[in-house]
Amino acid sequence: MSSDSPIVFVVDDDLRVREALSSLISSMGLRVGVFGSAKEYLEADKPDAPACLVLDLQLPDTNGLELQRKLADVDSPPIIFISGHGDVPSSVSAMKAGAIEFLSKPFGDDELSQAIKAAITRDRMARQHRSELTELQRRYTLLSPREREVLPYVVAGFANKVTAAELGTSEITIGVHRGQIMRKMGAQSLAELIRMADRLGIAKKSA
Amino acid sequence: MGEQPKDIAEEVKHLQRCMNDLVSLLALPAKWAGGEPVQIVDVLLDALLRMLQLDLVYAQLKVKGDHKPVERARLAQGRSLAETPQDIGEIIRESLGADPVEWPWLSRKLLRDRDIVIVPVRLGLLGEISFIVAGSMRPDFPLQTERLILSVAANHATIAVQEASLRTDQRQAAIAMDRLVAQRTAELALANTELSNEIAERKHTEEHLVRSEQMHRVILEAANDAVISMDDRGMIVLVNDAVERMFGYAPIELIGTPMTILMPASMRGLHEAGYKRYLTTGMRRLNWQGVEVTAVGKDGREFPVEVSFGEMTTDGHKTFTGFIRDISEKKAAEETLRNMQTRLSRAGRAATVGEFAAAIAHELNQPLAAVVANGHACQRWLLAEPPGLTKAREAAERIVRDGKEAGEILRRVRALFKKTALEKSRLDLNEVIHEVLRLLAGAILSEQISVTTDLADNLGTVEGDRVQLQQLLFNLLQNGIEAMEPVVDRPKELFIRSRLQGPEAALVEIRDRGVGMTRPDEVFDAFFTTKESGMGMGLAICRSIVDAHQGRIWATPAEGSGTILSFTLPVQHGNES
Repeated sequence: MSSDSPIVFVVDDDLRVREALSSLISSMGLRVGVFGSAKEYLEADKPDAPACLVLDLQLPDTNGLELQRKLADVDSPPIIFISGHGDVPSSVSAMKAGAIEFLSKPFGDDELSQAIKAAITRDRMARQHRSELTELQRRYTLLSPREREVLPYVVAGFANKVTAAELGTSEITIGVHRGQIMRKMGAQSLAELIRMADRLGIAKKSA
Repeated sequence: MGEQPKDIAEEVKHLQRCMNDLVSLLALPAKWAGGEPVQIVDVLLDALLRMLQLDLVYAQLKVKGDHKPVERARLAQGRSLAETPQDIGEIIRESLGADPVEWPWLSRKLLRDRDIVIVPVRLGLLGEISFIVAGSMRPDFPLQTERLILSVAANHATIAVQEASLRTDQRQAAIAMDRLVAQRTAELALANTELSNEIAERKHTEEHLVRSEQMHRVILEAANDAVISMDDRGMIVLVNDAVERMFGYAPIELIGTPMTILMPASMRGLHEAGYKRYLTTGMRRLNWQGVEVTAVGKDGREFPVEVSFGEMTTDGHKTFTGFIRDISEKKAAEETLRNMQTRLSRAGRAATVGEFAAAIAHELNQPLAAVVANGHACQRWLLAEPPGLTKAREAAERIVRDGKEAGEILRRVRALFKKTALEKSRLDLNEVIHEVLRLLAGAILSEQISVTTDLADNLGTVEGDRVQLQQLLFNLLQNGIEAMEPVVDRPKELFIRSRLQGPEAALVEIRDRGVGMTRPDEVFDAFFTTKESGMGMGLAICRSIVDAHQGRIWATPAEGSGTILSFTLPVQHGNES
C-alpha cells in the first residue's frame, strides 16, 4: 500500500475490541493503527495519509469527547465514535462537535465500513483543501510588499486608474503590479484570483 | 447596892428610870426581829449609851465565816477618843490586855487622859459571840440598876444575835439552795430546749417524710408507667393508678392477689420458679433493668411491656417493685420503621442493582462488540481473493473466546435478576475481587485511580452467593472511588487486601485515600450518606449481604487519610467445590 493509502486509527481500552476491529478493518483493505489510550494515540507518529479515528467514548485516561475537543484545533482526521452505552446526550454532543458517526457496540461491518469510507472521503477533501491553501499561502509569500498592497484593490474590482490615484502612483505601474500578481499567484482570470484571495482571507478594499 | 441614896425621892426616881429602861430593853427584841447580828449590836449600843448615859460603849462581834471580829463603838455626845471603832478597840486592848476573857469585870483606867470606869460584858456564856465594853467617867458607875440593865441587855442581845446568826445560816443555806435550784432549773431549761429542738426536728423530719411520701405518691399516681409492688409471697401489695389504665384491674382487685394474674398462663410457672429460685439463692436470670415480657390485661388482651425491677428489704421481708411500661405503640412503631426500612432497602438495593446491571451490561457489550467485529472480519477474510484463511481462523478463535466470556457475563446477569435470594456455592474471594475490579475498570481508569491488590494465596473458599458478594465488593470499591472523587492534592489509591484471619475467617480490606469518614460506626446504617446524591443505601446493603453470609463488616479511619472498609466471611474447610 502506498503512503497515500488511507489509514484507520482505533482507540479503545479493551484489547478484545482492538483485536477484532484491527482484523475487521484490515479485511476491508485499509491500514489500521490501534491504541489503548488517548495518550498513546496523541504521542504516536502518524503517517501523512487520509485517515479516520475510531474512538471509544469511555477511554481510560480521558473521555472520548474531551479528546475530540482537543483534536479539533489540529488537523485531525474525522472521528467515528463507538460506545458500549447507548448514551444519547454524549452522542448528540459528539455529532455536534463534528463526528462522522456514533456507533453503539456491537455494530455491523457495513455500518463501520460506510462510516470509515465517509470519514476518509471527508479527510481526503480536507487534506486536499489544506494542501491547496498551503500552495496559495506559498504563492502569496512570493508577492512583493507593493504587490500585496495592490492586491486588495484588484480583487475589489478597482480600475487601475483609481488604484493609482489611491496609492499615489501611475496607472502604468499599477498595471505592471497586477500582471506580476496574476503570474505569481498562478491565476488564469480575475475571477480565480478573487477566489484565491478569498481563501487566503484577504479583505477586499472597499470603495 | 453599896451606895446610899441621897434621899428616898431620888431613889424612887432612879428606880422608875431603871424600870423604864428595862421596859425599853424588853421592846428591843421586837426591833431586832429579822436583823443582822451587826444591826442588833448597833441597836444595843445605841440603847445602852442612851439609857446608862455612858461616855463610851464598844462591841466586838465574831461573825460566822469572817476571820476578824467586827468592831463597833459609840461615844457620848461631845466626847472624842478615837476616830474608828477599831482604834477604840485597840485602846481598850492596850489597857485591859489582848484577851477579853482575861479582862476584870470592873476597872478604872485612864483612856487618853480621861479617867474612865470600864465594865466589859460578855455576850454568850464565854463571850464566844461578843464582848461589850461600857465605859463611863462617872465615878459611881455602874450602879446596881445599871448592872442589871447591862446584864439584861446582854442576855437579850445574845439571844437575838444567836437567832440572827441562825437566820444567817439558814439564809445562806437557803441562798445555796436557791442557787442550786437555779442551777438545776437552768440545766433543766437547757435540757428542755434541746428536747424541744429535737422534737421540732423530729417534727420537721416527719413533715418532710409526709411531704416526700405525698410527692412520691403523686409521682406514682401521675406516672404513665404502672408501678406494682409485691411481697415475698408474690402477692401484690401496692399499685398505682396507671395499673388500672394499663391492665384494666381496679387497685382493690389486685391488692393481695398473686402477681401472676398479670402474666400469660404460659409465663406463670416460669415466673414462680424463677421467683422462688431468686428468694432462696439470690440468682437472677432476668435483667432487672428493662426486660421485655408479655403482660395480660383483665380482658385477656396480651401486650408487650418493658419491666424494670427494684428490691427493698424491710424488717427482713423483701418487697419487689416493678415499673411496667406498655410498649405496644413503641413496638408497632418499631415494626413500621423496620418494614419501611426493608421496603426502602429493597428499593435501594434495586437502585444499586440497576447500577450494577448497567456495569455488567457494559461489560457484556465489549466482548459482544468484539464477537460481531470478529465475525464480520472472519467473513471478509474468507471472501477475500485469495481468502485470508489464517486471519479468518484467528478471528474465529477470538469469537469463541469472547463469546464464552459474554456467556459467563450473561449468566451472572441472569443470576442477578433471579428472585431466589441466595444461591450459595464455594467461592474464591480473590476471584470475586478480580471480577469486580474488571467491572469497575472503566471507573478506576477514568478516575485515574491506582489499584494495589495484596491477596493471600491461602485464603481458602467461602460459601456465598457470587452475585451478592460481587455486589458487596462492587459497592465497597465504588464507595472508595467516590470518596476520592474530590481529592486533588494526593494520588488516588485503592488498596485491596485479603488475608486469612485465624482458621475460620477470611478478611478483606479495602482502603481508600479519600476524604475519610467522620462517623465510621454509622456508615452501614441505611440512609447514612455524606454524598450529595445517593440514598445512603450502598453500605447498608453491604451490611445486609455480609450479615446474610454470617460475616462482619466495619469501617475504620485509615492512617493518614481515607477509610478502611473491612469485612470477614467464614472460611469453608474441605476440598469439595
